[in-house]
Amino acid sequence: MASTVDTPASRPEKQYECAARRFLYIWEGPLRIIHWVNFFSIIILSVTGYFIHDPFMSSAQHPYIMGNVRYVHYLFGIIFSVNLLFRIYGFLVGNYFASWRGIPNPFNAKDRKNFWAFIRFYTFTGKETPHLLGHNPVAFCAYTLLFALFILQMLSGFALWAQNDPGSSLYAVTGWIFGLVSNQWVRWFHFLVMFLIGGFVINHIYSVVLFDFKSKSGEVSSIFSGWKPDRRD
Amino acid sequence: MSAFNELLATHGVSRRDFLKYCSTIGAMLALPSTMIPKIAEAIEQDNRPPVIWLEFQDCAGDSEGLLRASRPGVAELVLDHISLDYHETIMAAAGHQAEASKNATVEKYKGQYICIVEGSIPTGAQGAYCTIGGHSAEDILKKVGGDAAVVIAVGSCSAFGGLPAAYPNPTGAKAVRDLLPNKTVINLPGCPMNVDNLTGTIVHYLTFGSAPAMDRFNRPKFAYGKRIHDNCERRSHFDAGQYVENWGDYGHQQGWCLYKMGCKGPETFHNCPTLRWNEGLSWPVMAGHGCAGCSEPGFWDTMMPMYRRLPNVPGFGVEASALNIGTAIVGASAAIFATHGAVTVARNWKNVASAKADLREEIKEHSDDVE
Ligand code: HEM
Ligand code: SF4
Repeated sequence: MASTVDTPASRPEKQYECAARRFLYIWEGPLRIIHWVNFFSIIILSVTGYFIHDPFMSSAQHPYIMGNVRYVHYLFGIIFSVNLLFRIYGFLVGNYFASWRGIPNPFNAKDRKNFWAFIRFYTFTGKETPHLLGHNPVAFCAYTLLFALFILQMLSGFALWAQNDPGSSLYAVTGWIFGLVSNQWVRWFHFLVMFLIGGFVINHIYSVVLFDFKSKSGEVSSIFSGWKPDRRD
Repeated sequence: MSAFNELLATHGVSRRDFLKYCSTIGAMLALPSTMIPKIAEAIEQDNRPPVIWLEFQDCAGDSEGLLRASRPGVAELVLDHISLDYHETIMAAAGHQAEASKNATVEKYKGQYICIVEGSIPTGAQGAYCTIGGHSAEDILKKVGGDAAVVIAVGSCSAFGGLPAAYPNPTGAKAVRDLLPNKTVINLPGCPMNVDNLTGTIVHYLTFGSAPAMDRFNRPKFAYGKRIHDNCERRSHFDAGQYVENWGDYGHQQGWCLYKMGCKGPETFHNCPTLRWNEGLSWPVMAGHGCAGCSEPGFWDTMMPMYRRLPNVPGFGVEASALNIGTAIVGASAAIFATHGAVTVARNWKNVASAKADLREEIKEHSDDVE
């Protein structure tokens, strides 16, 4: 038999209807690359950063271990930072969903309604959330905070680095930080932000999976493929 | 024989030793060797500016440092030779006599003398915490420091407020630079300052008539331009991952890095590892103890606990370390979202059951179709 493939179209009499009207290419290639570079940099920076905080491994099996770990931390610090700058560039020029144009507008009644629908969903006081193509508006707020932390982490990281040569041009760029906060607190902050990011990661993965279930709109796969369904609600 | 050569002779210092000393100082200030004659000339000249040494909320540690200056007798001589007109702790005169001599110098050498300040200046209780000869410390500093050619703040207390200004700063202690914002203030922090850095600064001033190049905290770069950590003789152990884990353990006996024992060398700018103390004999890390970070702004509030790398967070009742707070943040996040997940699963249990029923139905129909 020729048509054993069971698609809704092949059986219109059963009134099957795909929930997706069509698929849209929401997250473009560069954005997805930036996301995954960020993912790997943060893991590597956290592991090496924790080691710098508390060098728990003995040198007997790993000669020059601290030197190497610091090298990797600085290298990925640069990769992370360049990647962050690319993302900020994308925020200016990227497509609707990746850029400032997709920001939920607090003066727009519909955006406000969406926001509260998600808040109610998270707090178990409401069951329905509208189907959105871009960021969930509550998550968008979390991302804003997160990127503020990234920028501070980048600044504090380079400021700590520049201390090895106060005559350097890097120090000329970052030295002002030590006029505001002592270098011990900069270090402390750089260490603490690692945990703040860790706390976010738990939230992030949980929420993405939750909405993948809830809205059946391929939240998880969209960051690999870029495609999301334009669903009928 | 010039007056200065006589002075050398009475101190039993040969001309050759004196010139050697000048080249040492020149090297320390990173000057070319062609400058050595100029340094010697500056030290020898007869119109050296007088020095007034003020002491406020201090422990006299910097004065002690000055008195112990004993590098081949010459440093002492240089400091003798700059006429120290007023120094409460070491001058012979006392009371009104001492005050009179100070006032005479201030009047006679207005705008020419060097003012050295030791100790922080209390500004609380209208200055009642420290008055000398009926004047508050703040008034004395503004008068004597204000009329000086240059002010040198020796020790962390006068440079940054130091211990008296540590939280909760009961006396409202301030640094010299806070009270003389329009003056050239050279900060020589340290607990105490290293007297070789003081002589270096004075010789620089005598030679060039100006302050040496300074960093953002007004510390001379020749002395505070490098981090302890970057000049430390234990640095190779740091990079190699060889750390002292306990006092007196194998690593400690081997002279390994003190990072894990709370060494503040990675955050402290000072030339201790190269200049060392007590005639270049030793310095804390060489002696087996971590750097305490004494010459950084906010020392004590930011560099303590002494044996931990990062500061504790005040205001949390029990002292809380960054690690505890961080673990709590991640733990709270995990707990919140785990609970949320559990509640979500419970709330959707019915949906899952009906979805499964739908699917069973579907599979049945599907297999019917295929048949
Ligand atoms: C997700 C981002 C990052 C995380 C989680 C992270 C984590 C850490 C941690 C935990 C430490 C040890 C702090 C301590 O206990 O003293 C550290 C140190 C440091 N980090 Fe990062 N970091 C990040 C980004 C960066 C960036 C972008 C740079 C810039 C190049 C950087 C440069 C440094 C430097 C210079 C140190 C001090 C290392 C030393 O003393 O040798 N970090 N980092
Ligand atoms: S002992 Fe202190 S200053 Fe020296 S290398 Fe270790 S951490 Fe750095």
